[in-house]
Amino acid sequence: MTEESKKKSARKLNDVTLQVLVMLGVLVTLMLATGATNPNFFSTFSLVSISRDVAIMSLFALGQAIVIISGGIDLSVGSLLCFIGVFNIVLLNRFSGLSFVEASLMVSAMAGLIGFIHGVLVCYLKLQPFLVTLCSLLAFRGLSRVITADRTVAFDAKDYPFFADLGQETWLGVPIAVYVLVAVLIPLLFFMHWTVPGRYLYAIGYNLEAARFSGVRVNALRIFSYVLCALLTTLAAILEASTIGSRTPSAAGLAYEMYGITAAVLGGCSLRGGQGSLIGVIIGVAMLRVIRSAVIFFEISTYWTFVVTGLVLLAAVITDVVVRGRRSSS
Amino acid sequence: MTTPGCPLLSVKGISKRFPGVQALAEVSLELDAGEIVGLVGENGAGKSTLIKTLGGIHQPETGEIRLDGETVEVLSVRDSMALGISLIHQELNLAENLSIAENIFLGKQPYRGPRWFQITDRAVMYERSRELLSRVGLDMSPRTRVQRLSVGQRQLVEIAKSLSVDARVLILDEPTSSLSLTEARRLLDLVKTLREDGVAILYVSHRLGEIIEICDRTVVLRDGKFAGSLERAEINTDRIVSLMVGRDIEKFYHRSEHKTSEKTALEVRDFQIPLAPESLNFSIHRGEIVGFAGLVGAGRTEMARALFGVDPTLSGKVIIHDRELSLGNPQHSIRAGLLLVPEDRKEEGLVLEETVAANISMAALPKLGAGGLYNRAAVQGLASRFIEALSIRTWGADQKVLNLSGGNQQKVVLAKWLAMEPRVLILDEPTRGVDVGAKSEIYELLFDLASKGVGILMISSEMEEVIAISDRVIVMQAQRIRGELSGEDITEENIMKLAIGDH
Repeated sequence: MTEESKKKSARKLNDVTLQVLVMLGVLVTLMLATGATNPNFFSTFSLVSISRDVAIMSLFALGQAIVIISGGIDLSVGSLLCFIGVFNIVLLNRFSGLSFVEASLMVSAMAGLIGFIHGVLVCYLKLQPFLVTLCSLLAFRGLSRVITADRTVAFDAKDYPFFADLGQETWLGVPIAVYVLVAVLIPLLFFMHWTVPGRYLYAIGYNLEAARFSGVRVNALRIFSYVLCALLTTLAAILEASTIGSRTPSAAGLAYEMYGITAAVLGGCSLRGGQGSLIGVIIGVAMLRVIRSAVIFFEISTYWTFVVTGLVLLAAVITDVVVRGRRSSS
Repeated sequence: MTTPGCPLLSVKGISKRFPGVQALAEVSLELDAGEIVGLVGENGAGKSTLIKTLGGIHQPETGEIRLDGETVEVLSVRDSMALGISLIHQELNLAENLSIAENIFLGKQPYRGPRWFQITDRAVMYERSRELLSRVGLDMSPRTRVQRLSVGQRQLVEIAKSLSVDARVLILDEPTSSLSLTEARRLLDLVKTLREDGVAILYVSHRLGEIIEICDRTVVLRDGKFAGSLERAEINTDRIVSLMVGRDIEKFYHRSEHKTSEKTALEVRDFQIPLAPESLNFSIHRGEIVGFAGLVGAGRTEMARALFGVDPTLSGKVIIHDRELSLGNPQHSIRAGLLLVPEDRKEEGLVLEETVAANISMAALPKLGAGGLYNRAAVQGLASRFIEALSIRTWGADQKVLNLSGGNQQKVVLAKWLAMEPRVLILDEPTRGVDVGAKSEIYELLFDLASKGVGILMISSEMEEVIAISDRVIVMQAQRIRGELSGEDITEENIMKLAIGDH
């Protein structure tokens, strides 16, 4: 092979990395532009609030990204996030002897089971992941409203100081949620890039059959991805419940599944599976959150937030297609 | 309609090349109204290419097609249909969710109203469908959804569809291959009736019995060339087979003198896969290469997939090196040393978007790193070892497999299994789409593996290959083992006779 074609192929390998770098550039530009227009954007209060939101959203978005990388999709995270948050608070309020940690472990186990059921339905009953998790999206939103009679539930920060601190406190000026994200991200990165199951998840996403024909335990791994997603959603649910102090069953976590998927795509995930960067997902979440702030700081009506988000995603997807098309034809 | 003295359809000197293979070379054929002409030949003899040329799917490089003595261009399926040529594929092309009538009139539904606001004229559509269905002898309501029909009934719908456009030339590709006996009977009778109606019929089939029964003439293709033509009185199995084979087998691939072990590598007993008429029994010795011959669809791939465990098995025993294998799970098969190089390299053999290294290490990955860790250095080491050993032409272990040639891709699949210490290696069409150079390298590799005691089961539809490299040949037909050949008996004639299932 010639030197030139070597370079070309080497460049092609970095499709995802390139996209992540571009996104990072766009993100920084957007932040600087917003800051220049309104210096309040860089106030401590604003930065703490943004970084906390990004950390919480990133948790479930990472879970969704891992499911997407392995060739599936999970639409249930928004409803599940609401249900777990609501259920956690209901448990604490109903059983006064229960500690926060005990309640959290209980809801985690439940979430793990839900993820497991998603995986089993997808792998063994061969149902489409989109449909399975769409059913959960509907069912858990409904259940949240059923167990609360559609009333907002809250916990008393005096009774559960640890619960309250998790979402509300900072350490060294950085929200606790950010430390939680880092503590989760490092093992996840390690898992996806430096362990055999992690590498297999990418292979499964690209070509499930070839992985199966190579003796990869494809079903176990796919089920695992759904369990992981549900568990990460649980973490996000607890942190968000803590931050806000209450949960409104009809509104909490609404459309979060769309945020997560959007962030994953912005971060280089292909919805066909096999591709994606976890760091990219976090940058994607940050983009979405900064857009929300930018809309406010630029004093545009907040009704425009979704419009802008939709257009940004469309721009990213079109750029991706055009760039990839040009590279593969050149 | 036909001009006297010139045939309805005539094909003159048609040639077609695909990368690496001359699919058709100077083939000519004539077909008259009210005539059934059989078209036979081995797998890869060029039958499909010829009929696809007539159907407008392939365009020939040289030669001409004449209809009623006039040269015509068949550049697309649409052209072909407009000329009254109708090609019915072996794999039927019906929209299963639509009704029979909707399928017959797909894309040309009778309508009322202006062109820009067409309303389907159901009454007309159903009425005409009923006429067509009665002509092909299918006694069903035109409103019936196609998914409720049997394969044979669907075949009749396809024919009705052809008749709806007044096809003058009807090309049938293996029409009875998946029909029951009664259905096949009915189809043959229908074909004869259509001949009476003046339709010109080109009938492609592996079933020589049918050819003998219905054809007025038979054209035999071999290696993309015209091998001969037989008139009605001359058509019999022996003559057809000798025309199909008609050449001396050159031994391109020389295997040095060797002896196979007495010990068995693989033993298959009462192995029953779903839908197969009977169970399979055979064994392969260590160091032996057993070729599985047969026509496309003889059930060899299904057997291989079930043995490897990617498809379910109903019952039976598989013993590898004296140990029974638990069936239905590829992980168990791989652990036992039973490995499959699948038929569909791109879908089942490789993750095309991944690198050469990732593909070679796909199965061995857990062994390479302790505790489930991904050991990049070991992966790279393994990859470079096999890139070198199999001379896989790539610029590096990090090149995507997507960009390799067919032969090199196949070597990557083989490398994946060589890294797993095979005891029994099943290869399904291992040299399909592989160029000649890489082919002989793959054969060398198989000889080498055999000499190390690996039992090799090679499914191949390429006759030369089977004959040249097998120690023993097992022939399958209609999901059954029809016979076994070894030594001097491994000849093309013997294999063909067993493969056709015509004794």
